Amino acid sequence: MINKIQELNALEQLSGGDTYAHRLNPAAKLLATAVFIITVISFGRHALMLLVPYVFFLTLLMILSETPHLILLKRFLVALPFCFFAGISNVIFEPAPYGLISFFTILLRAYLCVMAALLLVSVTPFCEIANSMRRLRVPGVFVAVLEMTYRYISVLLGEAYSMYIAYSLRNAGKKGIRMRDMGSFAGQLLLRSFDRAERVYNAMKCRGYVLNAIPQNRQNFASKDFIFLILVCIFCLAFRLMVI
Amino acid sequence: MMLKLQNLTVVYPDKTKAIDNLSFTLNAGENIALIGENGAGKTSLLLAIAGILKAKGAIEIPKQIGLVFQNPDDQLFMPFLYDDIAFGCRNLGLSEEQTKAKVEETLEMLNISHLKNRSSLKLSCGEKRMAAIATVLSMSPSILMFDEPTAYLDPKARRLLAETLKKLPHEKIIATHDMAFAAEVCNRVIALKDGRIAADGPKDLLRDEELMRVLGFF
Repeated sequence: MINKIQELNALEQLSGGDTYAHRLNPAAKLLATAVFIITVISFGRHALMLLVPYVFFLTLLMILSETPHLILLKRFLVALPFCFFAGISNVIFEPAPYGLISFFTILLRAYLCVMAALLLVSVTPFCEIANSMRRLRVPGVFVAVLEMTYRYISVLLGEAYSMYIAYSLRNAGKKGIRMRDMGSFAGQLLLRSFDRAERVYNAMKCRGYVLNAIPQNRQNFASKDFIFLILVCIFCLAFRLMVI
Repeated sequence: MMLKLQNLTVVYPDKTKAIDNLSFTLNAGENIALIGENGAGKTSLLLAIAGILKAKGAIEIPKQIGLVFQNPDDQLFMPFLYDDIAFGCRNLGLSEEQTKAKVEETLEMLNISHLKNRSSLKLSCGEKRMAAIATVLSMSPSILMFDEPTAYLDPKARRLLAETLKKLPHEKIIATHDMAFAAEVCNRVIALKDGRIAADGPKDLLRDEELMRVLGFF
């Protein structure tokens, strides 16, 4: 499980790089990602071929930012079953070949949106993304929930890991958690996580963390940030408007 | 005067009085060992000084204060140590350049530069303790507080920690059960019993068998 937590952190490690994409203003990257995602989801459910240019564009961005495609793809696989089940009903209820087309469109749209978000995370430290959201006046509760979720995932996994080890050592060599113990295991995990989360939050407060405080050290928009943002907007809108 | 507490009282929601009308002053150059049995109020006192627990009474803190928790895992919550140490600096509003410089300086001060890009999950207990201290030191506090700093440490790591703390110029308040450690690092002892000060004096108090008996150590 420690390796799983390490894998979770792999994207964060990538965000410490020093490419052109890493040096762009986080707010510019965040806005560009939002524009990209909104454009992609604005296409109709049978617009499979119209999404292809966006795949090339995203791949180009990945190459320019020197982001290993495989790491992002592995992370996308986690989301794949959800997209699969969201789209499979189209195959059943829509007449052929539209059902299949809309199924693959859903998969492709999910691929583009998830990969764009992952690309953003891999070239921008998470705290910078959260700070940019605050500066862009995204509701504080939303940013705080995102931040806490991100921070507490590893706390929760760590607690689950130590509980699982303690359980396994007294489980007479059997693997996994027995069904009859599952309830109390989950309950204990929840209680322990609450307790631990409170201590972590105290540690954060001790180091000057104020919920939803807008950070003072802002990085101003440079001309390269404007150019990047404008290029992304032009590309996204150009292909979208062509269809309309 | 670095820190002044006057008539400090901490009452938990279940009406348990953790700290009862406690007053003392931490003067420049002093390192205080807070001793007392489990439940005497040591941790509550540290949390109240840090502003985590609500307390009645007056706390005068001229400058920034840093608290190192008993369990380093509670203090290390970012994916990598660099981010953990930078967390406080960023909250203080330092720029990325200033933050980077401060993190490097702190890591060098504690001789843990090699851990910079490691995840806290991969650190030993001794390394985690040093990392937790680094997270606090990077904020340049004037007073350092430690809650059971020798917990989970082997003798070698404990010795290294004592050497490190002795080198730090900050005034310190150290809650501990480790009398030898307290005698090595501190020059003043405050003994707590049931949330009150049972004794306050120089570190020679640690050799007072009668006091140790009163505190429940024997």
